[in-house]
Amino acid sequence: MSCHDIKLDEKVLAKPNKILLMGNPNVGKSVFFTQLTGINAVSSNFSGTTVTFLEGKLSLGGMDYTLIDVPGTYSLAPTSEAEAVATRFMESGALVVICVLDASNLERNLRLALELRKFDVPVVYTLNLMDVASRRGITINAALLSQELGAPVVETVAVKKQGIAELCAQLEKVLSDGESCGASCGKCSSCPKSGTSDDSWLTAKEIARRVSKKSDEKPKFVDKLGDAMMKPWPGLPIMLGVFALLIVVVVFGGRMMRMPLIMLVDGAIVPFFRNIFESLFAWIASDGATLGYRYLFYDGGFQTGYRMLVDGSFQSVAYYTYNYYSGGFSSILLNVLIGEYGIFVISFQWIIALILPYVFAFYLAITFLEDSGYLPRISVLFDNLMRKLGVQGGSLIHMFLALGCAIPAIIGSRTATTKKERLMIATIICFAVPCISQIGALIALMGAFSWWMTPLMAMFAILFFIIVALLASKFIKGKVDPLILEVPNLLMPNPRAYLRKLAIRMKHFLKDAEVPMLAAVFIAAILAGTGVLNAIANQPQVQQFMTGWLGLPAEGVVSLILGIVRREMSVAPLLALNLTYIQAFVAGVVSLMYLPCLSVFGIVAKEFKIKTAIIIFIGTIVSALFIGGLVNQIANLF
Amino acid sequence: MKSETINLYKTNKNSIFRIVSVPRIELLESLGLRVGTLVEVQNRYALGGPVLLRVEERYSVAVGKDIAAQIAVTEVESA
Repeated sequence: MSCHDIKLDEKVLAKPNKILLMGNPNVGKSVFFTQLTGINAVSSNFSGTTVTFLEGKLSLGGMDYTLIDVPGTYSLAPTSEAEAVATRFMESGALVVICVLDASNLERNLRLALELRKFDVPVVYTLNLMDVASRRGITINAALLSQELGAPVVETVAVKKQGIAELCAQLEKVLSDGESCGASCGKCSSCPKSGTSDDSWLTAKEIARRVSKKSDEKPKFVDKLGDAMMKPWPGLPIMLGVFALLIVVVVFGGRMMRMPLIMLVDGAIVPFFRNIFESLFAWIASDGATLGYRYLFYDGGFQTGYRMLVDGSFQSVAYYTYNYYSGGFSSILLNVLIGEYGIFVISFQWIIALILPYVFAFYLAITFLEDSGYLPRISVLFDNLMRKLGVQGGSLIHMFLALGCAIPAIIGSRTATTKKERLMIATIICFAVPCISQIGALIALMGAFSWWMTPLMAMFAILFFIIVALLASKFIKGKVDPLILEVPNLLMPNPRAYLRKLAIRMKHFLKDAEVPMLAAVFIAAILAGTGVLNAIANQPQVQQFMTGWLGLPAEGVVSLILGIVRREMSVAPLLALNLTYIQAFVAGVVSLMYLPCLSVFGIVAKEFKIKTAIIIFIGTIVSALFIGGLVNQIANLF
Repeated sequence: MKSETINLYKTNKNSIFRIVSVPRIELLESLGLRVGTLVEVQNRYALGGPVLLRVEERYSVAVGKDIAAQIAVTEVESA
C-alpha cells in the first residue's frame, strides 16, 4: 500500500465511534452485520487494496456507532491484504470489537481471538453457528470460555437472530464501563506470553479442549448433502442440476420480467416521449419559429452575432434561423431523440426492458449460490480439469462472478496467489467469459430463432473458453500455486443478509454501468439519427467486410462501434435487424469474443499494465472478427 | 503400519492420518494443517485433482495435488 492510499482511508480509520466486527472467513459476520445495522449499509473499497468492507450505523442505548464489517481473516499476521487491513482497523482505536467465533470449529477460531487480545481494545466474543455445532454433537461451556478469555461470550445463531439482543446488551455494558481485559493483564490464564504462532495454536488447542466436548452425532442431511456435492458422484449430477436451475432462473425469469417491462416501455413510455417531442417540434416549426424570428429581430446582440456568423445580411439570418428550426436540423434532432434509434427509445428498450431484467435474475441466483457455500464445492470438483487448463479450481469462483460483471471479478482475483494465476483469470475473463448484460442480449437474439440456438452458442462459448485458457497458459509465463481451499458449511442463506447483498450488487451495477450504457445509447442515437451510420455502412470497404466476410447486414457495423463501449451493445442494435439463423449465430460469436467494455480496460490497465490492456484490446477484436468471419464462411459452405 | 510415513497424496479415502511434516505455507498453517494435526481423507479426485480433508473432525479443506504430495502423514486408523 502506498502513501496516497492511506490518506483516503484516514476518514474511516479516524471515525471515533467505531465498533469492529471481526472473525475468520465464513463464520457469518455479514449476517451479524445485517442483524445489527439498519438497511443503509455502504460497501467501500479499502483504497489501495481490493479489500472491501461494509460500514453501517449501529444504535445502542440511544447512541449511534459506526459498525465496520472487517474482511474475514484467519490471523492478524500480515500475510495478505485482508489481514493488513484488519490489523490497521485494530490499531485505529475502536471502542469495542465483536469477534465472531465459529462454535463448530472453535480451536482454529480461537487463534484469532487470542491475537485480538494483544491490542488494547475491549472484545465481546460471540459463539456463532451454535446450531451447526450442536447438530454435530459439539457442546461448549460458554461461561468457562468467557473466563478463559477474560471477556464476555454470547452464544448466537445469527441467521435466526438468536442471541443478538444479548450481544447488544453486552456491547452496551462494555461501552459504558469501558473495562475489559485488553492487553496482557495477567488476570486470566490465557494471556499471551509470547507472540509466536506455535504458542497461539497451543493455547487455542488447550482452551478449546477445556471448554468444548464432542459426542458422536449422526451427520444430518445438510452436512451429508454438503459432502455429497463434493464427490464426483453424485456431485457432478447435482452440479448439472444446479446449473440447469440457474439457467432456468436467468433465461425464463429474465424473460418473464421482460414481458411487462417491454409492454410498459413500448406501450407507454416511448409513445409518451414521442408525443411530447413531436408536438414540441411541431410547435417550434410553426409558432416557435416566428417567436425566434421576433426575438432575433429585436435583440441587438443576437442580431449582430448571427449576422457576423452568417453573411452580414439581416434577411439571411432570419431565413437561416427559420430553416434551422423547421427544416433539416429539426428532423435530425427529432430522429436523435425519438427516432428508431432515438435516445428516448433505446435507452428504455435496451437498458430497462432488455439488460436490467437479466442482470437482476442472474444476481438473484448467483448471490444465493454464493451465500449458501456452494461455489467452493465446484472449485474442488473441477480443480483437476482447471489444472489441465493452467489455472486452479479456486479461480473458477472468480470466473463465475465474472458472468455477472468482469470488473469486480478482476478486482477480486487479487486473492490469487501468483501473478500468472491472476493474469490467466483476467485474460480468460476478457476473452471468453461474457457478462450477464451481454448474455441477456445474446439470449434475446438467439431466443428469437429456435430453442437450440442458445445451447449451441453456450457450447461454442465453453469450447472457446477452453481454447483461450490453453493458449493463455502457454503464453503467460510463471507458475500457478496448487489449490488450498477451506470449504465452508453448506447452509441456507439468511434472507435479510441475502437481500441486502443483492441490493448492494444492483446498486453497484447501476452506478458502474449507468454512464457507459447511456454513453453507448447517445453514440448510437447520434450515429443513426444524423445519418452518419448510413454513410459508414455505405463505405465500400465496410460493406465488403460486413457482408462479404461476416455475412451481416452493413448496418450491423453500429454494433461493432458500440461494442467497444459496452459488451451488450454489440448485440442490442442487431435485435431489430431481421437476421437469418447464420447471421444471428455469427453475430453472437463476434459479440462473445469481441472486446470487453471500456471500463474493463480501465481496470485491466490499472491492475496490470497498460500493455496488457492493449494486448487484450487488439487480441479480442482480431480474434472476434477473424473467427466470426470464419464461422460465416464455413456455415455458407453447406 | 502405524509408524510408516507416506505422502498425503498417496493415502486412501476414509482413513485418518496424523501430519508428520508439512511445507511452510502460511495458508496451510492458518487453516490448522500443522505437524500433529489429525486429518481424515474425505475424497480423492481422478486426473490429478485435490485431496479433500476433514481437519480434526471439524472442517473441510481441499489441498491441491502438488502440495498434498509434500505433506507427510502416518496412518492412525482406517475406517
